[in-house]
Amino acid sequence: MAANAVGALARKKGIAAFLGKNTNLVTFVVLATILGVMTRGRSFEWPSVRNLMIAESVRAFAALGVGMIIITRGIDLSIGYVVCLVASVSASFAQTPDYMAALYPGMDFPIYLPFIAGILTGGLFGFFNGVLVAYGKLPAFIATLGTMSIARGAQLIYTKAAVVGSVKDAYKVLAQGSVGPIPNLALYVVVAAAIVWFLLRHTRRGTNFYAIGGNPVAARVSGINVEKELVVVYTFAGLLYGIAGCLLSGRLGLANALTANGMELDAIAAVTVGGISQAGGVGTVGGMIIGVLTLGIINYGMTYLGVDSYYQLLVKGFIILVAVYFYIRKYSQR
Amino acid sequence: MKKLLVLVLALAVLAGMGFAQAKPVIGALIRNLDEQFVADYAANLKSLAAKAGVELKLLDSRSDQATQLDQLNTLLTQGVKYFVIVPNQTEATEQMAKAIAAKGGGAAFSNIQPSVAALKVSKNFFLASSPESVAGTIQADIIDNYFKKNPGKLAPGKTINALFLLGQLGHPAQKYRTEAVKAGLIAKGYKLNVIAEDTANWKPDEAQQKMDAWIAAYNGKFNIVITNNDGMALGAVESLLTAKYTKADAADGTILKVPVLGVDATQVALKSMSENKLYATVLQSAKGQSGTAFALALAMANGTYKPGFVADGIKPETKPGAEAPANDASVIGQCYLVPFEAVTKDNYKSYMTK
Repeated sequence: MAANAVGALARKKGIAAFLGKNTNLVTFVVLATILGVMTRGRSFEWPSVRNLMIAESVRAFAALGVGMIIITRGIDLSIGYVVCLVASVSASFAQTPDYMAALYPGMDFPIYLPFIAGILTGGLFGFFNGVLVAYGKLPAFIATLGTMSIARGAQLIYTKAAVVGSVKDAYKVLAQGSVGPIPNLALYVVVAAAIVWFLLRHTRRGTNFYAIGGNPVAARVSGINVEKELVVVYTFAGLLYGIAGCLLSGRLGLANALTANGMELDAIAAVTVGGISQAGGVGTVGGMIIGVLTLGIINYGMTYLGVDSYYQLLVKGFIILVAVYFYIRKYSQR
Repeated sequence: MKKLLVLVLALAVLAGMGFAQAKPVIGALIRNLDEQFVADYAANLKSLAAKAGVELKLLDSRSDQATQLDQLNTLLTQGVKYFVIVPNQTEATEQMAKAIAAKGGGAAFSNIQPSVAALKVSKNFFLASSPESVAGTIQADIIDNYFKKNPGKLAPGKTINALFLLGQLGHPAQKYRTEAVKAGLIAKGYKLNVIAEDTANWKPDEAQQKMDAWIAAYNGKFNIVITNNDGMALGAVESLLTAKYTKADAADGTILKVPVLGVDATQVALKSMSENKLYATVLQSAKGQSGTAFALALAMANGTYKPGFVADGIKPETKPGAEAPANDASVIGQCYLVPFEAVTKDNYKSYMTK
C-alpha cells in the first residue's frame, strides 16, 4: 500500500516534471484548446489545420535558421529583407516569357534556376553575416542590422521598386500544390526540420553549436574552431532563408519590396516562445516548431475570431511576454 | 497550475472581444489600417455594415500579401463568400479571385486595381476604385494651372525644377502616383528637371529632415515640391517655414516661395491650405470607394446584383478607357470608377469637417 502511494507520487511528479520541462508545449496546447472551445471545435477541423500549416510554413524556415543562430548565442535581424530579396530574385527568374514588364522579358529560364539563384542569394548573405560576426568580431545585432539594410537596398535596386509578378504556374505549383490533403509547404518544413534536427542532435557540428552558445571561451579551449562554426551556422541559416524566399514567391506568385517585411521579429519571437534561450546553448528543433505553431495559432485564432486588428498586436505581444516569462522563470528556478 | 489558470483567463477575456452572431456576412480584407486612406475606408465600411444589418468580418493584413492570403483562407473556411478587398498588389488579385470563385463567391477590389485576369475569373469580381495614377495626373493638372497663372515662376525653357518626396519605395501608391505626375507634366510640354527625389516613407518627420537638407543644398534652385501624400507634404511645409523660405504675399495661393502638393486631402492638410501654406492636394474618396465596393458585395450577398447595377450612385463603365483593368472590353461592365477630385483654393472649404 505504501509502495503504491510512493509509485503514484512518483508518477505525479513525473507528469509535473514533464509539464515543467515543456512549458512551450503546454502553452501551445492551452492556446489550441481555448481556440477550439471558442470556435466550437471548428479550429480542429482539417481545413483550419491546413490553413495554419500553409500560413506558418515559410516562417518555419526562417525560425529554423535563426533558431540555430540563437543557440550559438547570436541573432539575425536581416531575415525579413534577405527573404524579400531572395523572393524577388527567384521570382525574376520564374516570370512568364511573354510578360513585357518582366525583369528579363522574353527569357524562359529552366524551372530549377529560380531556386538555385534564390538559395544562393540567401546563402551568400548568411555567409557574409557569419564572416562579419566571426572574423569581423562585430556584434551580431549590428552586423545583421547592416546586412538588413544592404539586402533592402539590393532588392530595390534589382527590382527598381517594381512588383515582380506574372510568375509561371509550374513554379507556383511547387509552393501552392498538395500531396493528397497535405500542402507541399508543410512537407518541405518536415524535411527541413528533420535535417536540422539531425544536424543539431547527431553531428559533431551540432554539439559544437550548443557548446559555443553555452560558453564560447570554454568551447574554444576545448578545441572548437569557433569562427568557422559561426560562419557555418549563419550560412546554413542563410540557405534556409533562401528556401523560404523561393517558397514565398511561389506561394504569392509575386514579390515586391514589402514581401516578408518584419519576418525576423516573427521568427525570433517564435523560437523564443519555443524555448530557444537568447543566452545561447539551449533549444531544440521541436521547440522551434512548437514556437512557430504557437504564434501561428495566436494569429490564426485572432483572425478566425475577428479580433480587431489594432488589438491583435496588443494581444500577440502580451501572449509572447507571458509565455517567455514562464520559460525564463523555469530556468531561473533551477 | 495557477499560472495556467491565469493564462487561460487572460486569454479568454482578450479573445472574448471576437464573438459574433448569425447575420448576412461580408468579408473585408484590408491592406493596412495604419494608412489614413485605408483607415477611413474601413471606418466607412463599418458604419455601412452597421446600417445595413450586415456582419462585417474586417481583417488587416498590415501590408503583407502572405497574411492577406491567410486571412482570405480563414474567412473562406468560415463560409464567407462575398468580399470587399483592398489588396496589397495588383498581381495577387487573380489568385485571390480564383480562391473565392472556387467557393462560388465574389469580390469588389478597391484602391489597388485588380488585374484584368482577376476580373475575368468570373462576372462576380469588380473594380471599385480610383486608380493611383489618376492622383498623379491630377497633381500634374494642378501644377499646370499654377504655372499658367504664374509663368514667372517657371525656370527658363518652360522648365520645372522639382523636388520629389516619395512614399515607401515599391508601394503601389508611391510608384503609380510618381510616374503619373511626371508623365503628366512632360505630356503638357514642360521640361521636367528632377533636382532631388527620395523616399520619406509617407512620414512627416522624415520628409521634414529630407527637406531641411535639400533647402541647404538647393536653395533657390527648385520651383516646386511634389509629394505622394499629405503627411510628407506637411513635413516639407514645416521645413520651408522653419527655413523662412517664405514671401510676404500669398498672391499665388501660398506664403511659401514654392508651391507644395500632397495627396489625400486629410483634415490637417485642408487646415494648412486655409492658412496659405500647403498649396493643393488631391482627394481619393475613401467614402466613395468603400461605398461602391460595399454596395456591390451586399448586392451579391442578397442575390440582387445584375449587370449594369448602379453601386452607390456609380455606374459601371461602358467604354474601355486608358488604364487597366478598365481598358479591357470583356470586363468593362465590372469596372466602377470612383472619381478623384482636385482639392485647390477654389473648393477646399467644401471638404472641411467643421
